[in-house]
Amino acid sequence: MFDETIAGRVRPLAEAFRDAGLVRLTVREDDFEVEFRRRSTGSVLASTPAASAVSSPNDPALAADEGAPAGVAPEVLTSDVVGIVRFMRPAVADGQRLDGDRDLAFVETLGIRNPVRFRGSGTVAAVFVTDGQPVEYGQPLFAIER
Amino acid sequence: MFKKVLIANRGEIALRINRACHELGVQTVAIFSEADRQSQHVRFADEAYCVGPGPVVRSYLNIPNILSAALISGADAIHPGYGFLAENARFAEIARDHGLVFIGPTPSVIASMGDKATARRLMAEAGVPTTPGSDIVASAEDARLTADRLGYPVLLKATAGGGGKGMRAVYEPAELETAFATAQAEAEASFKDGRMYVEKLIIQPRHIEVQVLGDEHGNVVHLGERDCSIQKPSHQKLIEEAPAPVLPESVRIRLHETAIAACRAVNYTNAGTLEFLVSGEQVYFMEMNTRIQVEHPVTEMVYGVDLVKEQVRIAAGEPLGVTQGELSPIGHAIEVRVNAEDPDHNFAPAAGTLGRVEFPGGPGVRVDTHVYGGASIPPYYDSMIAKIVAHGATREAAIVRMERALSETRIEGVKTTVDFCRDVLRDPAFRAAGVGVEWLKTDFLPAYEATRAAARATHAAAPV
Repeated sequence: MFDETIAGRVRPLAEAFRDAGLVRLTVREDDFEVEFRRRSTGSVLASTPAASAVSSPNDPALAADEGAPAGVAPEVLTSDVVGIVRFMRPAVADGQRLDGDRDLAFVETLGIRNPVRFRGSGTVAAVFVTDGQPVEYGQPLFAIER
Repeated sequence: MFKKVLIANRGEIALRINRACHELGVQTVAIFSEADRQSQHVRFADEAYCVGPGPVVRSYLNIPNILSAALISGADAIHPGYGFLAENARFAEIARDHGLVFIGPTPSVIASMGDKATARRLMAEAGVPTTPGSDIVASAEDARLTADRLGYPVLLKATAGGGGKGMRAVYEPAELETAFATAQAEAEASFKDGRMYVEKLIIQPRHIEVQVLGDEHGNVVHLGERDCSIQKPSHQKLIEEAPAPVLPESVRIRLHETAIAACRAVNYTNAGTLEFLVSGEQVYFMEMNTRIQVEHPVTEMVYGVDLVKEQVRIAAGEPLGVTQGELSPIGHAIEVRVNAEDPDHNFAPAAGTLGRVEFPGGPGVRVDTHVYGGASIPPYYDSMIAKIVAHGATREAAIVRMERALSETRIEGVKTTVDFCRDVLRDPAFRAAGVGVEWLKTDFLPAYEATRAAARATHAAAPV
């Protein structure tokens, strides 16, 4: 479940991970599992089985989670290719209302644009990536609450 | 030299390449599937990208995602390892088109060696002996004339064949007509291509292959031969050694000279292996593998050359680090493939989570593996989980050392080939050396299975 509880548990771990200068850290506890890996760029990737968050020290991802109402599992849009994520203009922001199908971004792979599409309506709960960031397969891009 | 190399593989070979790169001061980028997230090859790399879910078509064969990972990570070269995309000429070409160096031979050499008919023709033109055979035979009568010319026994083969389909061994002229009809019908049914050719059947051949290295400056060397005759019934290699034991010196020299001539004929660059069938004094070219091979460590152990580092250096445009005169084998090396397979059930692959894992060590022992206690063996990939290599002053010393190494090996949680290989090492025929590629299937396995059955019967009958 991706909610405040998770965000609240992940954030101190992420900080500890960053401050300790570790390369990799996995924490498992009951139904909770989170894994941090350091990329050479210095950013930190965290993933949980149900949802994942990408964060660097000045990344809005974790802070954004706290804005999400508790108890609702947002839908997480992930990348199904490896490439560079590019936001559509105007770029969506946390708390933004989405009405109707919409391409939020595309992931560019070898010059091909793979759209990241949200169908239906909802509210943006989190933006996990920054425009122009490299993303891998399965990497969470946006969380949306219906 | 490259700054950063993307390793387009998994498992032990990804780790092997990672080590070579790090020793060369080159940074590494791993790729992995969702099933391999916890794998050692991911942890040991400088950075890593998930390229897809477990099934290989969507991950380790996913060319766009792999190339994209190479480009966004800023890699300047790709090492394909073995299997997966290692002999995919199109991949090598696309990589090159994106400004990446493919660590291997040129796409056109990969393509010509990958096509059996082209490879045979090129080799024959270069004076390399290939199995005597024919072009397409139009009819059973045509096949009979060819068989008469070649001498029995012969092998009828479908040009489109694979996996033994459309293939028949014919020992007597009287068998030919029926064999031709059934093989052709089978080829027609399996491949929608009933074109047949005839090849001389080589009886009890040994599989002996020659390791070569060629650079972009016209230098080519061989690093001797490996005997890979101990093969499972599926013809997958199980135990390999270098040098080949009990091989007439004249044959050894001919193999080496033939390999060099073949490489020169196609301007071969990077590491490669020429596979031969050897029967008595006769040597026949089978195929050329345009990649690093699983069993390369036995060559490294006796020659003291790091083949993977040489691959990277060659691809970076550097001249070979060694000359032929500097290369001579020291002692003997044997490799045992530890597969997560059940030798008692036709080598059925096993997946699951490993329990306790202990690998051997000590003098003259090398272990190339990506597994550890608690590691999971996903069902999607090759069943090989480790290679244990033993080096000794003599073949006997290497075998004794390998027996010792295998006795130290503990792998719990899945069935493995460890104990089976120990039994093979103790077999008098293996000890005497020089067995052919069918020996394990036709001689060793029946005796092994009888012993196992007897042991089970005794065990079952024993009072509790």
